[in-house]
Amino acid sequence: MEATIEVRGLRKRFGPRLAVDGLSFTAAPGLVTGFVGPNGAGKSTTMRMILGLDRPDEGAALVGGRPYRSLRTPLCHLGAMLDASAVHPARRARDHLRWLAHANGIPARRVGEVIELAGLGSVANRPAGGFSLGMRQRLGIAAALLGDPPALMFDEPVNGLDPEGVAWIRGLLRSLAAQGRAVLVSSHLMSELEGGADHLVVIGRGRVIADTGVAELLAAASGGRTELRTPDRQRAMTALAREGAEVAAAERDAVTVSGLPAERIIEVLTAARVPFTGIAEHRATLEEAYMELTRDAVEFRAGTGGEAL
Amino acid sequence: MTAPYRSTVLADARDGFGRLLAAEWTKLATVPRWRLALAASVLLTVAVAVLTAAGSQTTGGGGPPARLRPLSDQGRITYQMLPGDGALTARVTAQGGGGGWAKAGLIIRADLRPGTPYAAIAVTPGHGVRLLSGYRDGGPGGAPGTPPAWLRLTRAGTTVTGYASPDGRTWRRVGAVELDAPGPAAAGLFVAAPDRVEVQRQFGGESISGTPADTRASFDNVTLTAAGGAPVTGPWRDRGGAGGPAAPDPGGTTRTGGTVTLAGSGDIGPDAFADDVTRTTLTGALVGQAAIVALAVLFVTAEYRRATIRLTLAASPRRGRVLAAKATVVGLAVLAAGLAAAFGSLLAARPVLRAHGTEPPPLTDPAVLRAAVGTAVLMAVVAVLGVATATILRRGAPAITLVLLVLLVPQIVATGLPVAAARWLQRLTPAAGFAVQHTVRRYDTPIGAFAGLGVLCLYTAAALAAAAWLLRRRDA
Repeated sequence: MEATIEVRGLRKRFGPRLAVDGLSFTAAPGLVTGFVGPNGAGKSTTMRMILGLDRPDEGAALVGGRPYRSLRTPLCHLGAMLDASAVHPARRARDHLRWLAHANGIPARRVGEVIELAGLGSVANRPAGGFSLGMRQRLGIAAALLGDPPALMFDEPVNGLDPEGVAWIRGLLRSLAAQGRAVLVSSHLMSELEGGADHLVVIGRGRVIADTGVAELLAAASGGRTELRTPDRQRAMTALAREGAEVAAAERDAVTVSGLPAERIIEVLTAARVPFTGIAEHRATLEEAYMELTRDAVEFRAGTGGEAL
Repeated sequence: MTAPYRSTVLADARDGFGRLLAAEWTKLATVPRWRLALAASVLLTVAVAVLTAAGSQTTGGGGPPARLRPLSDQGRITYQMLPGDGALTARVTAQGGGGGWAKAGLIIRADLRPGTPYAAIAVTPGHGVRLLSGYRDGGPGGAPGTPPAWLRLTRAGTTVTGYASPDGRTWRRVGAVELDAPGPAAAGLFVAAPDRVEVQRQFGGESISGTPADTRASFDNVTLTAAGGAPVTGPWRDRGGAGGPAAPDPGGTTRTGGTVTLAGSGDIGPDAFADDVTRTTLTGALVGQAAIVALAVLFVTAEYRRATIRLTLAASPRRGRVLAAKATVVGLAVLAAGLAAAFGSLLAARPVLRAHGTEPPPLTDPAVLRAAVGTAVLMAVVAVLGVATATILRRGAPAITLVLLVLLVPQIVATGLPVAAARWLQRLTPAAGFAVQHTVRRYDTPIGAFAGLGVLCLYTAAALAAAAWLLRRRDA
């Protein structure tokens, strides 16, 4: 309960636009939960409502079972980075963290700790205005970790980072979750979460499209298909079709089989004395799975192109 | 699955208003240009004070020392020395000229030096019979008493009591004043009248030209008795005007039989047209205030511009407290800067004023202290107004413009309006706060020092309440 972010039936309207439309999901402790959706899907609005910055029209967001605004030292319950550029350019990184620590009575030693943790030691005494995007992201993450909170929330943390920075953040998120924290990470690119997230909440137009584990999602998208390589494609297809599999010729020497598990395919081919050089389960990428999921939403949007976004 | 994580700093963390003050103070102190703005406000204020002092000119050189309670002690007096207690009675038979506050009556004063404490009773054409003292207009009385009218002053110890009578038999007590002048005192008849003053006001300034107003009055049945009723004998002496190039006609005294006729000009009373040296010296606050307003506004709007307001409100979800902490921190920082600016101005201007022939009033005088400390408080309240306005508008340029307009426009417009309209303008707008800089009551003083500051505080409180309401209600 301590380390969960829970969203229940959140709804938020900005003028004529329904930004968030009855959203419910949970970011559980010990997991990196990816919060994915196209730009304008309502991710940032949802995060602001979780932080008590925007007032929901309906529904509630709970951090460790309590509304954020009822927390006395909220930085110790939920650390958040909404916008890495949210720092006064003339203020030194260390001072930026100092005022934040003061606001929740967090001991001063913690400022030094998060500076080291975020790898900002060499630039901590420089004005934040001169920071590169990557350093600002690190400063934002340091700020989020200030209260050593059991729940963390990052809005597009790897957006615009170089591969090294992406790898660092991915590793950091994994290690934070491994400590038992709930980590909610938003992104508009599924590929950014590949290998980073355990659980996915996919939203489009303010609604949850999918709320599932990454493994399940990939399995579903892979659809139990198997890639088979064989020099004798014709015989292989005949033998497998006789066993009830759906067989499709792919490229030369390759066949895609569905409807039969891989072990059974091997048995059938061995029994029929059909030679094969390779057999592998077809693995969909997260991006493929995501495209599959959001196709409807995207089509819907394309169909009503006149509507303001 | 791993066990849920527990924060290692939660046990040490505390909330509370003191923490918020520390957070806001850290924010203010860690942006170098904001520290510069505070320093600039002090330097600008002092610089303007020195420039103003250097621009002051006293004609004739070595002019009179600036008085904190500017007064006029002229008119015509004819008197005898009264050794101790006693009574002075006379009938005013006629009075002419000099306007509504022309005075004809009796006076007792320790000596004839200008500015000496006195007690007097006089008939005035516009304000009835008045017991006068302390170089103030007004005083007890006010019942109509047109000549011929009997007047009496009695002196017992330090108390002087005034009486009036239509016929010299039934006396009405008008009032009593304390006159702390032991020993012999001058007691006699006097006439006085305020100068006819023309004030020309145009945008940005005023020019005052005064011409002496002549007044005359006749008295008879003059009796001066010492304690026990014995008549005081001695020569009657006269005192005319104070002399000098602008001094009124000394007038004259004529005695025919029992009738004494006095003619004179100049007033024994307040000088409503004197320069307020302290206030002029503190004018620089108007300029320093621009830096203060910019600082106070940007302290808030920079948070909106950089979106750090979301960090601030996420760290402290009780938004009313956040606003209170911001206002307190900016207010206190500006109060400190304001004290430095006000006392710095008065100190820096002193040698310059002296070099230009004006003796500046002492810093230890209560009115000067009030003006100096008041200027600092004024700047602090203006800063809080800036914080509130910035929270309402959330954008720097409009908020700075609005606050400066609201403070400056009434003062600029007022110089071009008729006095009555100008006074109301400076009573009802936030510019009323500048009244706290007055050390001298003048003809155009719109409102008392503390009342004026109170008006500004009311506006600020209203803006702060609106800001708190909006901050709580709006999405960040």
